[in-house]
Order: sequence, then structure tokens, then C-alpha cells
Amino acid sequence: MSALIDLLHLREPVEALKAKSVPRHRSAFWYYLGGLALFFFCVQIVTGVLLLMYYRPTPEAAHQSVEMIVREVPFGSMIRSVHSWAANALIATVFLHMFSVFFMKTYRSPRAILWVTGIVLLLLMLGFGFTGYLLPWDSTAYFATRIGTEIPRTIPILGDTIASWLRGSKEVTGATLTRLFGLHVAILPLIALGFASVHIAITALLGSGTPRTAEIKGETRFLPDYLFGESILWLIGLAVLLAVAVLFPWNLGPAYDLTKPSEPPAGVHPEWYFMFLYQSLKYVPEWSAVLIYTIVLLFWTAVPWLDRNARRGKRSPVFTWIGILAIAGIATLTTLAYFSVAQEQADARTEQTSVPDTTAPH
Amino acid sequence: MVAFAAPFVYAASKFLSYQGVLGGNKTATFSAEELTPDSPSKLVEIEGEPVIVVREADNSIRAFTATCTHLGCIVSFRPQLAIGHEVTPGFYCKCHGGKYDVNGINIPGTPPKAPLTELEVVDVADDLTISLLPKTASQ
Repeated sequence: MSALIDLLHLREPVEALKAKSVPRHRSAFWYYLGGLALFFFCVQIVTGVLLLMYYRPTPEAAHQSVEMIVREVPFGSMIRSVHSWAANALIATVFLHMFSVFFMKTYRSPRAILWVTGIVLLLLMLGFGFTGYLLPWDSTAYFATRIGTEIPRTIPILGDTIASWLRGSKEVTGATLTRLFGLHVAILPLIALGFASVHIAITALLGSGTPRTAEIKGETRFLPDYLFGESILWLIGLAVLLAVAVLFPWNLGPAYDLTKPSEPPAGVHPEWYFMFLYQSLKYVPEWSAVLIYTIVLLFWTAVPWLDRNARRGKRSPVFTWIGILAIAGIATLTTLAYFSVAQEQADARTEQTSVPDTTAPH
Repeated sequence: MVAFAAPFVYAASKFLSYQGVLGGNKTATFSAEELTPDSPSKLVEIEGEPVIVVREADNSIRAFTATCTHLGCIVSFRPQLAIGHEVTPGFYCKCHGGKYDVNGINIPGTPPKAPLTELEVVDVADDLTISLLPKTASQ
């Protein structure tokens, strides 16, 4: 090993990593979430590249190719399920990571740039989720994308342009599939890799931030102790992913045929991480939802500058309460959304037995 | 820097704004006999856009754009749709519960804020041809 390090001229970087350490305190466990998110991101890259070998991004072949991956290609179902479950695990981990940083107030100076790049990475992960959702071209994904790509139209001035750039046509068609595929496999990964590199490099440079009142019990050497702990978590993450992928293979709904339009299945809804947005649209007009969430996002991004107390190393209970309110709001809206979807599905079942739907397939 | 980038940004934005549909049908053609009292409506695709064709109670055949004007889902025809206290034929969007009357007019109090567009139907000896040409008011 030592000879290999010398051969590759890695002695200095390895020594620098050995010199690094991570503070040890009561909340230090939360540091591992950043590394776990990075691990899930790597899983996405590997499984995504494998899926690319068979996936075909056209309305005629997309669903068929995913069906082939799932039914015929050896380990295809597992790889696709790992990709789908890991996407959810990644977003959940990034959310947890963000809130742990928020409550530890480790966004305070000089780590504001870490907070901002982290928010951008969260948005990029949500972008991956949105663009990947349509790719299997099943009925639910088709209608969720129709709604998702319609919402930007409510943005003043630029709305129509953004919607038309996303769709590539007036409706959701093959052009939309091609664009979302391009975003999913080329544009977003490039941007995400850039931001992830900056995020990791700055973390390495500044070290981990500690909560204001944390009682530092010492330091954990980054290499090998911290990395050893982190890799145990990665292995657990991988084992859980594989188990879930095998026990609960990701569903593939019926294909959507553009040439034979049909009405949406009952209770069309986006993935769980967009459910709070979806529910908000039921209470306020689309344009105001876009405006409110833009303001919330700008506020959330500017927290390191707005939280002056944290910046000066003082207590900032107001921001702790803002964080609690944010979690409560997201949880409430998400729960309400799932209740409403369940209600819509129940209503549709009742309606099917009482009112004839004359647009059923001919 | 801006002067250098501007032509590229302009070209890229024009490139991305193209809205052509590859391989879409310019018209939908089928026999009026496909629309029966038991199955009085049919969804068809014209230039990538869903269109709903309906045989009404007086036997007239009408076509409307089927894209819900709320958030872009696809509407379906219901011979019995609860609109206020009445039950009449109309269009219904499953995604967010949008309703339109039989003339495609959005029902106040439901999410859509604009009507469906009625389209021209050419009926030659029960052979129907529908395009995305809006029906003119005089017809």
C-alpha cells in the first residue's frame, strides 16, 4: 500500500488527510449524513450508468426498455429498484443533513458558502427526482409531468419560456422526454458534480463546524478513524438499499400511449418530496405558491447572513423556532396531501361504480 | 464578456424554444359510428395534443381540446356530472376536480379559470375529420 502511495505521488495528500480531524461532541453523529449523501449520490451514478446501457428515451421505446430491464436483463429489476430507492434515500438524507446543519447553526461564518452550495445541491437533487420521474413513461409519471411542467407558466414574464424549454413542445411529448432525459443524465450531473466538489473541498478546507454550546470531548482523526465510521454507515446504507430493492421492487405502471390519449389514473401525485408543494397548490393560486416558495427559498438561503446572533456566537432561538416551524409545515402539508390522494382514490372507486366514464379505452 | 456570450445565449434560447412535434397527426379521422349512446366520447391525438370528441344528446358531434386549462391534465366526458345541484353532461378533470359544462365552459368554483377550446369537426357521410382549427363563432 505504502509503495503504491509513493508510486502515485500521493504521500502529501495522504499525510494532509491524516493531519485532519473531526471534533467529537454530543451531536457529532450528524456529520456522517453529508458523507452518506455523497455515498447515495455515487450509487446513483453507478446504477444510472448501468441503466443507460438499455434505456431508450423515446415515447415508443422508453416503457418497453424499462420493462425489458426489469423482466429480462439479469439483475435489472434490482439495479432499477436500487436506483429508485437510492434517489429517495439521497433526498431524505440531504434534507436531514440540511436540518442538522440548521439546528447546529453551523452555517454561521465562515461556512455560509457551504450552506449556499448545500441548498443548490438539494435543489439539484430535487431536479434529478423531477426529471427522472418521467423516464419510465408510465401513466402516472406522464400526468405528474404534465402538471409539473405546467406550473412554471404561472411565473410572470419568464414562465412560458421556462415551460416551453422544459417541454420542447406545447404538450408533454417525445420532445419533453428527450429534454428531461438530457437534463437527468448530462446537464444536472455535470452541475451537481461541480457543486459537490466545491462543497467537499470547502468542508475539507474549513473542517466541520461545531454547535455553539457543544462540549468538545476531543478529536477523531479523519484518516482512518472517522472514515472507518463513515464506511460502516455506507455499508449499512448499501445493505438496506439492496434489501429494500429486493423485497419491494420499484413499481412500473402501465405505459402511456401518446397516440391514444386517456384520462389520468385516480390520485395522480408527485413523489413524497414534492407533496408539500402539491398540497400548497390546493390552498393558494399557482402564481402565489410560486411567489411564496421563491421568497421562502431566498430567505432559507440567506439564513447565515440573517441570523446575526449565530454569527456573533450568541444564542438564536428565533431561528431554531423557524426550523421547527419549517419541519412542522412540511410534515403537515405532506400528511394532508397523502390523505387527500387516498380520498381521491376512494372517490374514484365509488364514482366508477356509480357514474359511467365514457372516455374509457375503445 | 457579455458581448461575447450574448449571441450564444440568444442562439441557445431560440434553439430551445422550438415547439415542433415529431411525427404527430395533423388530423384525426374516424367514423361517427364509433360514438354510440353507451360510449359517446373518444380521446384522440392531433399534433401531440389530446382532443375529446363527443356525441351529444341531440346527436350532434363536437370536439374540444382535452387539456385542462388548470394545470394541463386530460379531461374526460361524463354524461352525468354533478354541477351545483344539477346532474348534467359535462367534462371532468380527475387531477384536481376541474369541471366544464357541455359547451366546454369552466364551472366557477372549480380550479380551471378558462374554457376548453371547441374545434372544427368536418362530418362527411359519418366520416369525421378533426384538426386543431378552432370552431368559428358563426358556425
